[in-house]
Amino acid sequence: MAEKISFQDEIQKNKIKSFFLIIIIFVFFIILGYIISAILDPSYFFVIMIVAIIFSLSYILISYYNSDKIALASVKAKPASQTTHREFYNAAENMSIASGLPMPRLYVMESHQINAFASGRDPEHAVICVTSGTLERLNKQELEGVIGHEMSHIANYDIRFMTLTAVLIGMISIIAQIFLRSLWFSSVSGNSRDRDGRVQIFLIILGIVFAILAPIAANLVSLAISRKREFGADASGIKFTRYPPGLISALKKIKSQEVSEKDKHRFPKAVAPLFISDPLKKKISGIFATHPSIEKRISKLERM
Amino acid sequence: MIWWIISIAILIVLVFIYYFNRLVVLSNRIDNSLSQIDVQLKKRADLVPNLLESVKGYAKHEKNIIKEVTDARKALLGAQTLPAKMKAGSQLETALKSIFAIAENYPKLRANENFLQLQNELSVIEDKIAYARQFYNDSILSYNNTCTTFPGVIFARLYNKAQKPFLQIPKEERAIPKVKFD
Repeated sequence: MAEKISFQDEIQKNKIKSFFLIIIIFVFFIILGYIISAILDPSYFFVIMIVAIIFSLSYILISYYNSDKIALASVKAKPASQTTHREFYNAAENMSIASGLPMPRLYVMESHQINAFASGRDPEHAVICVTSGTLERLNKQELEGVIGHEMSHIANYDIRFMTLTAVLIGMISIIAQIFLRSLWFSSVSGNSRDRDGRVQIFLIILGIVFAILAPIAANLVSLAISRKREFGADASGIKFTRYPPGLISALKKIKSQEVSEKDKHRFPKAVAPLFISDPLKKKISGIFATHPSIEKRISKLERM
Repeated sequence: MIWWIISIAILIVLVFIYYFNRLVVLSNRIDNSLSQIDVQLKKRADLVPNLLESVKGYAKHEKNIIKEVTDARKALLGAQTLPAKMKAGSQLETALKSIFAIAENYPKLRANENFLQLQNELSVIEDKIAYARQFYNDSILSYNNTCTTFPGVIFARLYNKAQKPFLQIPKEERAIPKVKFD
């Protein structure tokens, strides 16, 4: 405990990773534009490239400044109220004092299971969102443990990289879905209309490209938001509370909770890796799991 | 050759600037966390008059304890130096603990909504004071670490930055408040 928490290295890494992610997404759209122009009509090359650049820039800028809002909207979170969520505010104020970070904005989402996530682009624009089940079922120490965990995600800029990944790559898989469906749709009704052969081929190729991309994108989210981050946030979170039993007992409650199928629908796949524990409670473990097993996290905390 | 000398000179200047800024940032953080403690202590002191009002309504003859709280509050608001503030703060804390212990003897007081709310608010502030102190000590630790480890120690001497003392929790605070039942 004697060593002061230093986030400098992690902050640097997360900023660099976020930057590269943005570059990759930008290049992706430029290449996409290039393919479209090559297939459709090479004479439109410049127009299409300009459109692609404008589109990808605005796409990235909007995602960068609104990733937290997109994540919050996708789980239908509402701002927490000072009066009815008093304990939530107290726990967050305590953790903000203990970490020396500005007070994050607080949100509550409707769900019976215990879960929470943090988002935003930097500590000045951070949000913490918890489920209503969390506030009902955790006591003060457990809640502080969970908020402390989220606070350390905020402190080391995990939130920027994690939310950007979820939003940028999540959107790609949405675009892929749209293309795949329109491809299927056009092939069904294609005969009735006399379509240009080129457009048809273009759609088919694009469809195939996206069919390959979509699952890769989905896995990229979980790989990028690596399981190591959760261990790190557990460890530095308890440096804020100085009370490991709080987080341990919260994790035990999370482990033993039953999650109904209906409840899982409140958590879109793309944002699931942001949460403190996998809200979809998948049985997979190992390299494709978005979260380390809770048993491992508990035993690591108990050894501290 | 000349370029080598120039770039090394620039590098040295940058290192000097870096350490100067780092020490300033760290010591500013200490000042800031100190004002955090102040804010919470002040908040607590502001709640005390209301609390005493509701206590007086039910337990008028507990004059000693009421006086103790009033005095501690006055001392806290008047304190200028950090150790004096800490001492007054812990006196107030002890006095408040005795008030809540005494309240056990007055069922009507315990049932008073206003009193309960104040008790709740004070315990919330208590937590915040504890966390603010923890952060203050954390800030001191990172400052002292920079001042005492190599190469920071050289720059700390150069810029005349000395180590700073940790915040001690006063002894009175660790003791359980004594309550006389007579």
